[in-house]
Amino acid sequence: MQMHVISALVENRSGVLTRMSGMLTRRDINIQSLTVSSCEKMGLSRMTITIMSNKEELEQAEKQLNKLVEVVKISTLHKSSSIIRDLCLVRVNAKDTKIRGEIIQIVDAYRGKIVDISLNTMTIEITDDPRRIDKLIEMLRAYGIKKLLRTGVTAISMNGANGE
Amino acid sequence: MDEVSGAELVLDSLKKENVNLIFGIPGGVLLSLYDRLYDEDQVNHILFRHEQCAAHAADGYARASGKVGVCLATSGPGAMNLITGLATANIDSSPVVALTGQVSTKALGTDAFQEADTFTVTMPVTKHNFLVKDVKDLPGVVRGAFYLANTGRKGVVLVDLPMDVLEQKVRNGTTKNLNFMGYKPNLKPNGFQLKKAANALVNSERPLILAGGGVISSMATEELRAIAEHLGAGVVTTLMGKGAISEVHPLSLGMAGMHGRVPANNSIAECDVLLSVGTRFSDRTTGWRLEKFAPSAIKIDINIDPSEINKNVQVDVPVTGDAKAALGMLLEFLKDAKKKNESKEWTDRLREMHDSCTECIKGVGERNPIDPRWAVKEICGFLDNDAIVTTEVGQCQMYAAHYYTARSPRQFITSGGLGTMGFGFPAAIGAKLANPDKQVVDIAGDGSFLMTCQDLATCIENDIPVVVCILHNGHLGMIRQWQDLFYGKRYSSSNLGVTPDFVKLAEAFGAYGERIEKTSDLRGGLKNAFSSGKPAVLDIMVDEEDNVLPMIPRGGAIDKMVGVEKCRCM
Repeated sequence: MQMHVISALVENRSGVLTRMSGMLTRRDINIQSLTVSSCEKMGLSRMTITIMSNKEELEQAEKQLNKLVEVVKISTLHKSSSIIRDLCLVRVNAKDTKIRGEIIQIVDAYRGKIVDISLNTMTIEITDDPRRIDKLIEMLRAYGIKKLLRTGVTAISMNGANGE
Repeated sequence: MDEVSGAELVLDSLKKENVNLIFGIPGGVLLSLYDRLYDEDQVNHILFRHEQCAAHAADGYARASGKVGVCLATSGPGAMNLITGLATANIDSSPVVALTGQVSTKALGTDAFQEADTFTVTMPVTKHNFLVKDVKDLPGVVRGAFYLANTGRKGVVLVDLPMDVLEQKVRNGTTKNLNFMGYKPNLKPNGFQLKKAANALVNSERPLILAGGGVISSMATEELRAIAEHLGAGVVTTLMGKGAISEVHPLSLGMAGMHGRVPANNSIAECDVLLSVGTRFSDRTTGWRLEKFAPSAIKIDINIDPSEINKNVQVDVPVTGDAKAALGMLLEFLKDAKKKNESKEWTDRLREMHDSCTECIKGVGERNPIDPRWAVKEICGFLDNDAIVTTEVGQCQMYAAHYYTARSPRQFITSGGLGTMGFGFPAAIGAKLANPDKQVVDIAGDGSFLMTCQDLATCIENDIPVVVCILHNGHLGMIRQWQDLFYGKRYSSSNLGVTPDFVKLAEAFGAYGERIEKTSDLRGGLKNAFSSGKPAVLDIMVDEEDNVLPMIPRGGAIDKMVGVEKCRCM
């Protein structure tokens, strides 16, 4: 089992999101994250879907999605040849100055940003490869995470790489 | 003014697709469309008594004719009642267009009277569906629905029609077209792959062909037969593939699978190259232990749907494309290739297997209480060679699959994938309307027939003389069989108890009814049923303790059937 990133170019019609997620659910494929928005082509949207699966399930997922009439193109993005990003907002406990100092150091090291500070908490924003975000979250857990939100993965193949 | 309503646009679009039959039931939101149908003489509407039957009839019409079947139902309950029929057609890749009424666009999402979210609910049981919100889209959508239903891997397309869209007027010539940029029904097979397949086949000592429903839907039966004869390959079919080769052909070994013939299943275990065409390797075909399915064979798989390749069975030579085109190309490659001598051992083995099946069927004799196998054989013997047989689901379906001899495609119509009880009778109505000059018989059980028998009224009203032959055993027979064999004879809810008097039931509708209690009465009963000129029900009382054997028990491998002693096939 491994995380796979599928990029789907779909026609921007009402119901297409239900169709895509329904197809995966029906085939017992668990969606880790799914993002969708309009793209450079008029009338089309691009979806980025991450799933945990083995190779055979990935092949099935791609083929089943490809079968949907509104799907224009499906491609799998390989980690080594793609830029994969996730955005995370996380609020941690930060009651005294010593702890705040530590958190700022950690966040700096991960090239995140402090976007809000209150008496008892700090809120951090980071956009990065999801695995690096996982690591930052691990570090921050020690201070107590009050709230955590992630947008889900969006990804693009590197220029010249196979895929898009 | 040159204005047309949405309802007129729908009808015009149907006429452009050469539709002359619609199966349906009206409802409030469809009144404008039915008002147009009132004056219509090119499109004939058959009024059903339950929407599920309308959908099955459209499906039966499509399977019998190869054309798209059309059904029509109102919003809410009408559309919901269609769903079993749509799922049945879609899983068996039968081309059906379903039109459903919907509440007005302004009322969508308000839980209005007779509102159900048909668009979302039908997504998983259709190939594609549309909710039309602009009257200008109607012609494009209807054209698109027929195109999608009848190309590539065929299937069901539903068009949901809100009331106000049907009533809106639009100026002629302002309608929009629709294109499907992502839909590429992959029709042209890859020559390189087919050459590889040809190479494997000519070097094979024990070639076998597994033919599925795709061979029938792409009308590839001639190509299939030519390849089998060229190679001296045996041919087994799936349930859906029954009729892909004439079952009297010496290379035909009948149906394989869970309830398949012993030789058909053994040949799968024994072959060294398996050419499968138009099948999705359902669990009912492969048995449960996939590692025992053609374990030593090079597997070639021709399928029009790329997602079916390697879904259930891992294959060595995948070919994506239409069966007719692929088999046509393959035959040319085979003719060009230097052919090795046929293995006499395999030829002899195939002949022995075919002959043993023929003997086995011959050996089923008269006894009282009536053996259901004998009953099917007798019905089959009575019918014309081009008759169409539909089936319900369960024991009656398996008896029909084995003891009715299909000589050509589209002669045997059954719910293979979904296994829908109640399918056979309404499907027979559709098949008869597609083939008014052919005999159409539904081989039913007393459990199945009660699920959709109200549409005898439709048959009477429209003069559709189909003959229902009930193999009456007082049980949900296949359930009873499993309880008998695997659940210690604990017959939980499989005994139907009091069954109705089917003769009186038929007569109450105005149909012909007759009960058959002795073998000597069956032929006369069939004569009476057909000469009555009316829809007819023959209530054939059969042995209630009979089981469909041999079979692969749950979890079993294809060549390990139980009850082998019950038949003489080798």
